[in-house]
Amino acid sequence: MIAPIEATGLGKRFGRTWALDDCSIRVPAGKIAGLVGPNGAGKTTFLHLAAGLLRPTAGEITVFGRSPHGQLLLLLDRVGFVAQDTPLYSGFSVGDMLRFGRELNRRWDQADVEERLRSLDIPFDKRVGQLSGGQRSQVALTLALGKHPELLLLDEPVARLDPLARREFMRRLTEAVAEEGITVLLSSHVMADLERVCDYLIIIAAGRVQVAGEIEALLASHHLIVGPRLNANARLSGAELVKAQHTERQSSLWIRGSVPELGAGWREEPLPLEELVITYLSAPRAVTLPRPQLEEAAS
Amino acid sequence: MIWVTWRQHRLEALWALVLAALLGGSVGYVALQISFASGRCPSTVGFGYCLSSDPFGQIAQAILRFNLAQYGLVVLPALAGAFIGAPLVAREIENGTQHLAWTQGVTRMRWLLVKLALVFIPLIAAAALVGYLEVVFLNLQGPQVNRWDIFDQQAPVVAAATFFALALGVAFGAVIRRSIPAMAATLLAFVVVRVGIAELVRSHYVAPLVKTTHDLNAVGSQADPTAWWLGFPNYYDSAGHLLGNLIGPSVGQPSYVVQSFQPGDRFWAFETIESAILCTLALLILGFVVYWVTRRAT
Repeated sequence: MIAPIEATGLGKRFGRTWALDDCSIRVPAGKIAGLVGPNGAGKTTFLHLAAGLLRPTAGEITVFGRSPHGQLLLLLDRVGFVAQDTPLYSGFSVGDMLRFGRELNRRWDQADVEERLRSLDIPFDKRVGQLSGGQRSQVALTLALGKHPELLLLDEPVARLDPLARREFMRRLTEAVAEEGITVLLSSHVMADLERVCDYLIIIAAGRVQVAGEIEALLASHHLIVGPRLNANARLSGAELVKAQHTERQSSLWIRGSVPELGAGWREEPLPLEELVITYLSAPRAVTLPRPQLEEAAS
Repeated sequence: MIWVTWRQHRLEALWALVLAALLGGSVGYVALQISFASGRCPSTVGFGYCLSSDPFGQIAQAILRFNLAQYGLVVLPALAGAFIGAPLVAREIENGTQHLAWTQGVTRMRWLLVKLALVFIPLIAAAALVGYLEVVFLNLQGPQVNRWDIFDQQAPVVAAATFFALALGVAFGAVIRRSIPAMAATLLAFVVVRVGIAELVRSHYVAPLVKTTHDLNAVGSQADPTAWWLGFPNYYDSAGHLLGNLIGPSVGQPSYVVQSFQPGDRFWAFETIESAILCTLALLILGFVVYWVTRRAT
C-alpha cells in the first residue's frame, strides 16, 4: 500500500542551517499522526515539504507515491493544509472564504462546508478579522476539509487557542477523521494536545527524527525503573538505555525494550506519554532510535 | 480564481477607476472646450486664450492652470506600481495567506498568471486611454504644438510606464516580502530608471540632426517649435572659435550658430522606441517574477 507520506533521507537547508536533516518518516494511512518537537525542530519545514510549499535540499519525499514539488497538481485535490496561525484573508467575510475555497478547488463540497459552519454557529456575513481565535481555526479547518482531502496536514493548529477552543477543535477534527477516514499529520509542541487524539507519534528534535511509532507500542516498549544508586559502569542487559538519571541515593533508568529481571530494591514506575516524549526531547543526542517501523514497512 | 482576484483587488480597482476618470475627464473636458472655441483661435496665439469666458470656459482655464493631467500622467504609473504592484505578492506573504492560496486546487503558476493578467490589463488599458485623451488634447492645439515637452504623458509611453511600474512592484514585493519596503523600493527604482532613460538615453534613439546657420535666430524653439532642441546653441565667430552658449556685447562677434535637435516628425518613432524599451524591461521582470514565485518563494 502506498503510504500517505514517505520521506527518505529528507533534508532541507536554509542558508547554512539544516532545518531538517536526514529524516526518514513514514506516516501510516488512516491514522492521526502527531509530529512533536520543540520550537524550531523542523516540524513546519517537514509539513511544508509535504504540502509542496518547499523543495527538499536532499533526500526525497512522496505523498501518495508522488512528488509534492514535481507533481503538485495531482496532489492538490487530495491534500488539505492548514498553515501555522491559520492564515485567512481578514478582509473577507466567512462567506467569501467559502467562495474562495469553492473557486479554487475542483473538488469541493459546498453543502458539507455550510453544514459544518452552521453547526459551529459561525455567521457567514461576519468578517474573518472579527472572528475569535477558535472560530478562525474552525473556519480554516472547515476550508481544508471542504475538498474531502485524503491527507490533512495541520501545523500547530491550536497553538494560540484557549483550552476550551483547543478541545472543541480537536473534537471536530476527530469527528471529521472518523467520518471520512482521512490520514492526518498534526504538529504541536504541546504534548497534551496530541495525546488525546493521536494514534501515531513522531518525535523530532533539531531537524532529526528521534522516535516514530504507534503510541500504544511506544508506551508498551518504554519503561521507567527506579532503584538504588548504580555505579557508573553498571551494564544493562536485554534492554536499551534511553536516559539515566542518578541522585545520591537512587538511579532512574528510562529503557526501551522489555523490563529486565529487577533486583532487590528496584521497582517500575508509570511512564505516561508526555513523560516519555520529554525524556526523548531532553536527551536529543543521547539516543536516536533505529527505525523499527520503517524496517517493517520496507519488508 | 477570477472572482478571488476581483474580491482581493476591488478596492484598488475602484481607486484606479476614480483617478482615471478624474484625469481622463479633466483632459477630455478641456479638449472639448477648446474644440468649441477652435473657430476663434488664431494659430499664433496660445490655446488657453481661445477658451470662452463663460463658467464652463473658466473651469477649463482652471484645469489647465493646475496641469492636473500632465502631473497625474507622470506620477500615477509610479503610484500604481507602488500601491498595487508591490503588495500583490508581498501582502500575501506578510499575512501568511500564500500558504493558504498555494495549497488549494490551483498551481502557483496559474494563481500568479491570473492575478497578473486581471490586475495589469485593466490598469494598462486605463493608462492608455487617458494617455490617448492627452494626445487628442494636444492635436486640438494645432500642428505647431511641441509634443516633446510632454513626452511622458502620451498614450504609448504612459501605458508602457504603467506596465513597467507594476512589474517592478510585483518583483520587489515578491523578493522583499514586505509591502512597505517594497513600495519604497518600487518608487525609487521607477524614478531612477525613468529619469535615467529620459536624461541619458532618450536623445540617442536616433542620431540627432545638427543645424548650422548664419541666421543667429534660426535655432531653438522659436525657430521650430515642433523640434526637440538638445542642449544649448553654440555660437562661433567667423574664424571658427567657439564663443559660448550666450551672445552679448562681451563675447565677440558671432558669425554662425550650431545646435543639435530631434525634428518633430520623429516624435512618434521616439515614443514607440521608449515604449518598447519599457515593455521589454517589464517582460524581463515578469519572467523573473514567474520564476521566483513558482520556484523560490516560500
